[in-house]
Amino acid sequence: MFELFVAMVREEWRMHSTMFGSLSFAMFPVMIFGIAFMGAFLLPLVRSTLPAGNLALIVHANFLLLGFMVGAFGLLGNEVMNRRLGQASLLAYSARSLPLSEVHIFFTFVVKDVVYYFFLWVFPFGLGYILASPFIGVPLSAALLLLLTLTLAFLYGLCIVFFLSALYARSRPLLGAVVLMLGAAWGSFVAVTGMNPALFFPPLLLYAAFSSMNLILSLIVLSVLFALAVVLFSPEGTGTTREHRDAFAPLARRFTFLPDPPLAAKDLIDLYRSGSAVGQILFSFLIPLAVIWFFLSLLGPYLPPHGLLLMFAIITGVIASTMYTWVTMFDTFGPYACLPVSVSRLISGKLVTFSLLQVVPVLFIAAVALVSGESANLVPAVVLCLAVSYYAVSIMVFLTGLSPNVLVYDVRVMAVYLLLLGVVLTLFSALAFAEPLYALGSVVLFLPAWFFVQKGRARWDAVDPSGF
Amino acid sequence: MTIIVDAQDISKVYGEVTAVDTVSLSVKEGALFGLLGPNGSGKTTMIKMLTGQTRPTGGSATVLGLNVEKNPVAVRDRVGIIPEQETPPSFLTAMEYLAFVGAVRKIPDLETKADYWFDLLEFRDKKNVLCKDLSRGTRQKLMFAQAFIHEPALALIDEPLINFDPIMQDLVKDYLAAYAKKGKTIFISTHILEVAEEICSEFAILHKGRLLHTGPVADLTAGGGHLPQFFLSLVRKDRHV
Repeated sequence: MFELFVAMVREEWRMHSTMFGSLSFAMFPVMIFGIAFMGAFLLPLVRSTLPAGNLALIVHANFLLLGFMVGAFGLLGNEVMNRRLGQASLLAYSARSLPLSEVHIFFTFVVKDVVYYFFLWVFPFGLGYILASPFIGVPLSAALLLLLTLTLAFLYGLCIVFFLSALYARSRPLLGAVVLMLGAAWGSFVAVTGMNPALFFPPLLLYAAFSSMNLILSLIVLSVLFALAVVLFSPEGTGTTREHRDAFAPLARRFTFLPDPPLAAKDLIDLYRSGSAVGQILFSFLIPLAVIWFFLSLLGPYLPPHGLLLMFAIITGVIASTMYTWVTMFDTFGPYACLPVSVSRLISGKLVTFSLLQVVPVLFIAAVALVSGESANLVPAVVLCLAVSYYAVSIMVFLTGLSPNVLVYDVRVMAVYLLLLGVVLTLFSALAFAEPLYALGSVVLFLPAWFFVQKGRARWDAVDPSGF
Repeated sequence: MTIIVDAQDISKVYGEVTAVDTVSLSVKEGALFGLLGPNGSGKTTMIKMLTGQTRPTGGSATVLGLNVEKNPVAVRDRVGIIPEQETPPSFLTAMEYLAFVGAVRKIPDLETKADYWFDLLEFRDKKNVLCKDLSRGTRQKLMFAQAFIHEPALALIDEPLINFDPIMQDLVKDYLAAYAKKGKTIFISTHILEVAEEICSEFAILHKGRLLHTGPVADLTAGGGHLPQFFLSLVRKDRHV
């Protein structure tokens, strides 16, 4: 058990350090620490406009989302790594040749994820805040409590994804039924009490009022989710050779209006058959956005009347831009290296598929605008969402080419990405808050987006493509 | 006779490692050329440079008259390539992959040509199976089919017989020999010396990225020599240099 755990941790480290370089990757927790440490000094300023409780809520929501993302990537890891690193095989899968049960391997895998990402993300953040606390007048006990509750929020995200994906692997209708039931329960609670259930998120309750009872309650809910995920876990079938009817030719014919029909058809088949189309939309888009919506809605009193929808449109745009990672996830340049295809052509092909997928955020934002009674601001919200999405994806293309996933943890790339994106988000948040119609001005973002894509295409054509 | 591959002092340096060190060689039209060398001698890097998959750090090369550094896509358009690791896309079926290759290469009458390859390499029963579910041998058959389906003037193959059973190895050897007889050129890299001696008309030996020897196989065998012994003595001698 312990040997497998140590080997998995070592494997995770080597995987990351191989992809980003040991130094770049080792700097990542240092960067998180720095952000938390320096950010802590801004707290007195932020508190003048935003109550401490709401700030805590946003930070906890972020760590919940982090748990979602780590969980979702962990489950797709083997296939992703196979495509990225050639014949890579992760211990979680190859350990099947050892006399260990699948549940045992999965349990170790989850524990490894918890420990590894705790030290990568959660601990550096908590440590930064703890070390800054004496300078900003925050009691050490409050800083330590934050570290505890952020850890719990992260674990909740992780366990919720493992639980839902275990259901998904068992039965899609069962998952659908559970999600519907949870949605109905959530809606009923709001209707009856008029309160937002996000306020009852156990780590948040614990942060607001620490008590042994609250801590035990948090841990019990977490343990139940974790136990259910492990018990329900069903290893994917191996050795199946199911036949598939030809989907490529009809799809390529249907896409003749696109610049590169074969590439778009292949990408969509990849998404559909890998299960990513449903899995990613659910776990990497809808669930995170639903969570963000409920947490953001608590900020309603501090935003202008239309602010919530437009703020949500911006966040949806940023998350929608990560759809580029969905279409690059299963591909390296390897299979194309035998063909007369350049990296820039492949990038363009991926962006076309990305554009097809943008129908999802558009429909989503439109639905949110209608449901929240903000139909008057539907057009500015959709424009803002798409403009932010295309701008963010263009930075991703420029900085990472065809490897947005593997460069997430490269400190330099991440810093440039955050800087280029942060400036624009701040500017357009302010404009949209001032007047909803100003959000329409975000169409100008398509110009720098086009510029970054062109620069990115030239940049990545000039270097040897990786992945073969 | 036309020179199909012409490398002049070509080099590739990765950081502090010199994978290929100022190698010059040429391959004539219709040749079945074997690039031989121990593991890590630079064979795969050489093929990658000649197909525009990686850029040389020194020297230059032309393939079918095209500079590989300036026209990598045009070179790949005109040649067939089988890389060292068989990597057909996981979620396409074998047939879909060939259709994809056909669409990218704009090959007419793709279905008939695909059927020919399914029959020749005896994997018609796998045509609708996802590539990720194919055995290594079947993936290699698929990669073989994609490399030859457009009947290229030059095919570059990294370890052509890897993963094939003896019957398929025999079939592939015959196919390669017949293909070269039609005036097309084959460039293979291998460390199976017996195969090289059996099918290649010319060969070159790489060791530690350097070219140790190049010439026709017939010159060697005419004097009673054998490629395996020649190779071993040359490489062993070079190890002590």
